[in-house]
Amino acid sequence: MVIKTEEVAQAPLRDPETQQPIAPKRQPGYYPGFSTLGQKGYWDEATRRLVEERVYTVPPIRFFDEEELLTITAVCNRLLPQGDRRSDYRIPIVPHIDQRLYENKIDGYRFADMPSDREAYRWGIRAIDETSWAIHNQPFVDLDPLKQDFLLKALHDGKPPIPHEIWGKMSLQKFWYLLIQDCVDAYYSHPWAWDEIGFGGPAYPRAYTRLEGGLPEPWEEDEERYHWAAPPDSISDIYEPGEDTGSVAGQGGTH
Amino acid sequence: MNSPLFGSFGKPDTDEKTLGSMQRISLKRMQRFHDNEPVDYAIVGVGSAGGVLCQRLAKAGLKVIGFDAGPFWDTERDWVSDEKGSYKLYWNDLRITGGKDPLAFGENNSGKGVGGGSVHWAAFAPRFHPSDFRVYTEDGLGCDWPISYNDLKPYYELLEREMPVSGPAHFPWGDPHGYPYGPHPLGGVGDTLIKGCTKLGIPVVAGGPVAILSGSHGDRPHCIYRGFCIQGCKVGAKTSTLITHVPEAIEYGAEIRERSMVFRVSMKDKKRTDGVFYYDADGHEHFQRAKAVIVAGYAIETPRLLLNSACPGHERGLANSSDTVGRYLMAQAGNVILGRFADLVRMYKAPPAHALTEHFYETDPKRGFARGFAIQTVGPLPIAFAKQMMKAKGAWGWGMRRVMMDYNHWSCLGLLGEILPWPDNRVELAEEKDQFGIPVAKITFSLYDNDKKMIEYGKKTVMDVMWAAGAEEVVQESRYAHLVGAARMGNDPGNSVVDKFGRTHDVSNLFVCDGSILPTQGSANPGLTIQALAARTADYLISQGDKIFNSEERDMTTCPIRRNLAVKGAFLHGIPRFWN
Repeated sequence: MVIKTEEVAQAPLRDPETQQPIAPKRQPGYYPGFSTLGQKGYWDEATRRLVEERVYTVPPIRFFDEEELLTITAVCNRLLPQGDRRSDYRIPIVPHIDQRLYENKIDGYRFADMPSDREAYRWGIRAIDETSWAIHNQPFVDLDPLKQDFLLKALHDGKPPIPHEIWGKMSLQKFWYLLIQDCVDAYYSHPWAWDEIGFGGPAYPRAYTRLEGGLPEPWEEDEERYHWAAPPDSISDIYEPGEDTGSVAGQGGTH
Repeated sequence: MNSPLFGSFGKPDTDEKTLGSMQRISLKRMQRFHDNEPVDYAIVGVGSAGGVLCQRLAKAGLKVIGFDAGPFWDTERDWVSDEKGSYKLYWNDLRITGGKDPLAFGENNSGKGVGGGSVHWAAFAPRFHPSDFRVYTEDGLGCDWPISYNDLKPYYELLEREMPVSGPAHFPWGDPHGYPYGPHPLGGVGDTLIKGCTKLGIPVVAGGPVAILSGSHGDRPHCIYRGFCIQGCKVGAKTSTLITHVPEAIEYGAEIRERSMVFRVSMKDKKRTDGVFYYDADGHEHFQRAKAVIVAGYAIETPRLLLNSACPGHERGLANSSDTVGRYLMAQAGNVILGRFADLVRMYKAPPAHALTEHFYETDPKRGFARGFAIQTVGPLPIAFAKQMMKAKGAWGWGMRRVMMDYNHWSCLGLLGEILPWPDNRVELAEEKDQFGIPVAKITFSLYDNDKKMIEYGKKTVMDVMWAAGAEEVVQESRYAHLVGAARMGNDPGNSVVDKFGRTHDVSNLFVCDGSILPTQGSANPGLTIQALAARTADYLISQGDKIFNSEERDMTTCPIRRNLAVKGAFLHGIPRFWN
C-alpha cells in the first residue's frame, strides 16, 4: 500500500502584506532556476546513481501497518509541511522512515532510557493517536490541521496534553527529536530541497572555486528573497528551543 | 547532458581499489596469511593508529595482519558526495549510551572500514601542548602522562610530513611551529572566525592546521573545496590512513583482512596471548595465530574487546587487573555556535576545518576552572544543520522550512573544550548482544564541576566571537566531539592499563595503541596525536625485535626515531621550527 503525501491537501503560504495565498511552486525558496540535478553530468557516477535513485524510486511501505501509516503520514505532514510545493513536487518523507525501520538501520547507539527505534515509533504513534481520541474523540488523522499542530506543539514543549503511560516508558523529548531527525533526513537529502535552500550539492570532481563572500559558482544562482507567512492553520512558524540537555540527538560529526 | 570534465571513471573489479581520484592499488598480490601460520603482529582495527602500525611494522620486515570489521573501500565506487549516503562509513552497530550527559556515537565519532575514523574526520591536526602531558602536576586534576611533549615532538614533526598537514607558517600556541604545506584559502566560516577574533583582539590562525593537501603530493591531488570532508574525501586530498599508510603497508607485505570482526583475544596461558578469534564476512568463526596482538579499536571497541576477552586468570577482562579498562573515557565539549548574517555565507564550501584559535587552551586562574578550550570552524551540510536548528532553535514545521531557506546566511563555529578524565565515565558490557552474539558496549558519561564551568565559559566566549563577527542572531547547541581514554597509559600498573609504549601491564605480548591510551585530551583534535603515538610504538616494537615474542623482559628505554620508515615522499617538505 502506498499513501503519497501529495494526495493530502495542504494549505498554501500567504503573502504577509495582502494575506493572499501564494500559489504553490514547483520550487519554493529564494533561488529560482537553480537546479542541482541539472548539474548531475558533472558529478561522479556513484553520487549520480545514488541521488537519482533517491528521486526516482520511492521505497514501498513495509514496516508500518495501515493505521500507523495514516497517523505517521498526518504527523509528518505537520512536522515538515509542504503546502508551498506543487503536489507533484513534494518530497516523500514517510517511505524513507519506513525503509529505515524495516531495514532496522540505527545510528550506532540507543539511549539507556529509550526503547529501540522501531518500538519508539510504534509506541509514539499509539500515544499520539490515543491522546487525540482522549481530547477530541477523533483519530489524529481526522483532526483539522490546527488541532494537529497544537497537539504536536505540546509534545515539542515536553508537556503532553494528557498523561500517557508511554511517556513514562520512554523520553518524550528524545522521541520528538527522533521524529524530527528522520523527517529532515528524508527532506534535506533530496535535491529538490537543495535547490530550495541554495545548497550547491555534490562538487566532485569539478570543485567549488568561489569560497569567500557567499559568492555563487557560475552554475549557482544569486538569492532572490520574498516574504511569506505560514498558513493560518499552523502554529509551527515560531522558535522555542527546549531545555539544553546536552547530546540528546544523533548528529553528524562536526569538528 | 553535459559530460563530466574529467570523464567518468571506470568500474574496477573488487581486487583493484581506487584510493582518491589518482591512486590505484591491486589487492591481487597482497600477502595472505593462513590462520595457522603465526604472524608476528595481529592488529585489531585499521584506523588512525592501526594503519600507521601496519605500515611501519611491515616496512621493518615483520609479518602483520590488520583486521578491520568493515570493508576495504574503493573510494570512487563506494563513497559519495552526499550526507545521507555516507551512512556506511560509520560504526552503526548498537551501543547503549547513558549517564547524566549521554554521548552520541555512530556518525558523530566512530568509523568502520579500513581507514577507520580517519576516513570521516574533519582532519584538523593540531599538536597537543607541552602542558597537556603534566595536567595533574600543574592543575591538581586529571593526570600526568608517562611521557613528555618532547618524547612525542619528533613524531609530530614526522607525521605532519607524512600526512602532510597544511597550515600557517607560524602557529603560535603550545610549542610554536609551522607547517610543511601552505594554508588553505578561507571559506565563509573562516571569515567569520577571523573577523570575530580580530574585533575582540584574540589571536587566530587561518588555513589550517588541517591534514588536507593545499598542493598536490605524489599521487594525491590538492583540495577542491567541495566541503564533503567528513563524508569521506573522494578527491584523495584529505589524509586518511586508507590512502596514506595502508597502500605502503600492503606493498611491504602486510595483509589487510577486511570485514573481519575480532571478538576475543586468545590467551595461551595466563601470561601470553597467542592470537585472536574473529568472525569473517559470512559470520564464520576463525582463529588467527599471532606472536603478539595490538588492539587498535578506538575508545569504545578497544575496552569492549578486552572486557569480552575475560578468561580464567583474567576474570575481569584482559589487562584489567587494576579495574581501569573502560574507565576515564573522555569526549571533548563540542558545542556548535551558529550565527545568522545579513549577507550570504554559503558555509558548504571549503573544508569544515580551516581556521582556529588556541588562545584559551591553557589554564587561566582568573576563569575559575582548570584547562581550557579551542575555537574552530565548522561547516555543517544541510542535514546536519537542520538537526542543529532542531535543538538550537527548537525548529519544526514551517519554522524548520523557514530557517533552512536561510541556510546560506548562517555560519557555524565550534567549541572544542577539554573535559577531564573521570573514573566513572566508562565503558562496560551491556546485556544486549550484537549481530554476532557478542555483548555490546554500555557507556556512562557525566559532566563534572570543572567540565561544566569550562563549557559555560567557552560557550559564552564563542558566542561573543560570533556577535563580534557581525551576526544578527546567535544560537548554540550542546554536543560532544571525539572519544579518547578508556585504556589509559601510565607508569603505575595500579591505575593504568598500558605502559608508555602501549604494552599492557598484565600481558607482555598484548598492546593497545589508539585513542584509548590517552590519559588526558587537551583541546586539540586527537587524530595527529594518535598517529604520532602509533609511529612511536612501532619504533619501540621494532627495536625490541623478538624479545616481544619470547621474553617477559620490559625494556623501558626509548629508542631513536626511525625516519626511514616514514611513507615515501614525506621529506619533500620541511617543518619550520622556531627557537625561543
